[in-house]
Amino acid sequence: MAAGMKSFSNKYIFFYITVLVVAVVALLTVVTLGLKPRQTANRTADKAMQILHAAGYQDVTSDKAVALFSRVAEKKTGEREVYGIRCADGSPGVVMRVDGKGLWGAIWGYVVLDGERSPVKGVVFSHRSGTPGLGANIAEENFTSRFVGKKLYDANGNFTSVRVLQKGKSPDVALDNRVDAISGATLTSKGVDKMLQQLNNEGK
Amino acid sequence: MKLPLGPLSKDNPILVQVLGVCSALAVTAQLKPAVVMALSVTVVCAFSNLIISLIRNTIPPRIRIIVQLLVVSTLVIVVDQFLQAYVYEVSKMLSVFVGLIITNCIIMGRLEAFALSHEPLPSFMDGMMNGLGYGLVLAIVGCLRELLGSGTLWNHPVIPSSLYAAGYLNNGLMILPPMALILVGSLIWILNSKKSKAK
Repeated sequence: MAAGMKSFSNKYIFFYITVLVVAVVALLTVVTLGLKPRQTANRTADKAMQILHAAGYQDVTSDKAVALFSRVAEKKTGEREVYGIRCADGSPGVVMRVDGKGLWGAIWGYVVLDGERSPVKGVVFSHRSGTPGLGANIAEENFTSRFVGKKLYDANGNFTSVRVLQKGKSPDVALDNRVDAISGATLTSKGVDKMLQQLNNEGK
Repeated sequence: MKLPLGPLSKDNPILVQVLGVCSALAVTAQLKPAVVMALSVTVVCAFSNLIISLIRNTIPPRIRIIVQLLVVSTLVIVVDQFLQAYVYEVSKMLSVFVGLIITNCIIMGRLEAFALSHEPLPSFMDGMMNGLGYGLVLAIVGCLRELLGSGTLWNHPVIPSSLYAAGYLNNGLMILPPMALILVGSLIWILNSKKSKAK
């Protein structure tokens, strides 16, 4: 610190910090309130875009996503977030939201099914704080594309969901009912596995 | 005015002062988040230096750390809010790391060591160059880790598939945090051996 430093009275210190805090609070309030409409719009568009992607709509830009989504999808009544949707190939589908836990925070996703007991048309996953290159890879196409065509029910018609398992583990689960987990992201993969169990009762 | 170039090499915040290592380990598994993180830190570091330098004569020394924290965290929240509003994709990618900028020791370190005792313009430059020096290391480590760990750069595959066919494998260890520590350590080693030769 510079030589000849001034000394400050307690009164000054209290006054100084109070003014500073009030100024900061005012600034942050203006910034958050001012930007909120844009942020909400971003989130809505992002969600619509993700679901549309899973339903096979390629190359949807975020500015068109909301309009397209409201045209092809309709929310169903009920506790869970479920939508009926017309997929890109014209067939009717069902979108279901699933929620779970990754290694560091929440993970969630939307699964598009082709109606009763039929295969998965597509999935999207998101994460709050997955590690880039590891847990965050659940949001990558490389992982989500593994789910396309997988089945929620085994050959006997029992619900298994799509299991996320290490290659070679639990060989009794048929290939139609499983995808490979992400190596190095064991706990997040297990989180996805558990999360997808929520699809029970919903696909019927 | 001369740009202070020290932070890029002989006064590098990560390699010489060994500050800000925690985030250097966390965000360098891939190049893209590393670069975005580096830019955010540069912005926050430059502007917090500027603001603290502007008000440096009014800050009571006894509460200066609190004042610094207040300025830094306000800037970080503002940056985060703007990212969420204008570049949503980027903010999704950085998720928790933006908030972690507050705890980056480089920023507080520069405020204490430089901004409190210097004029606003040199302080701004000092903050910017230190942010860039941090970013340089992040970019180098991010490059190496993504290339050797995932075989991609900026999410584009760069290793030819013929190499994989010949038996080449990505090194999974590269993606894990310990490898970042070893890489940063190697960079420090290279820099030190160059320095001792120069003497």
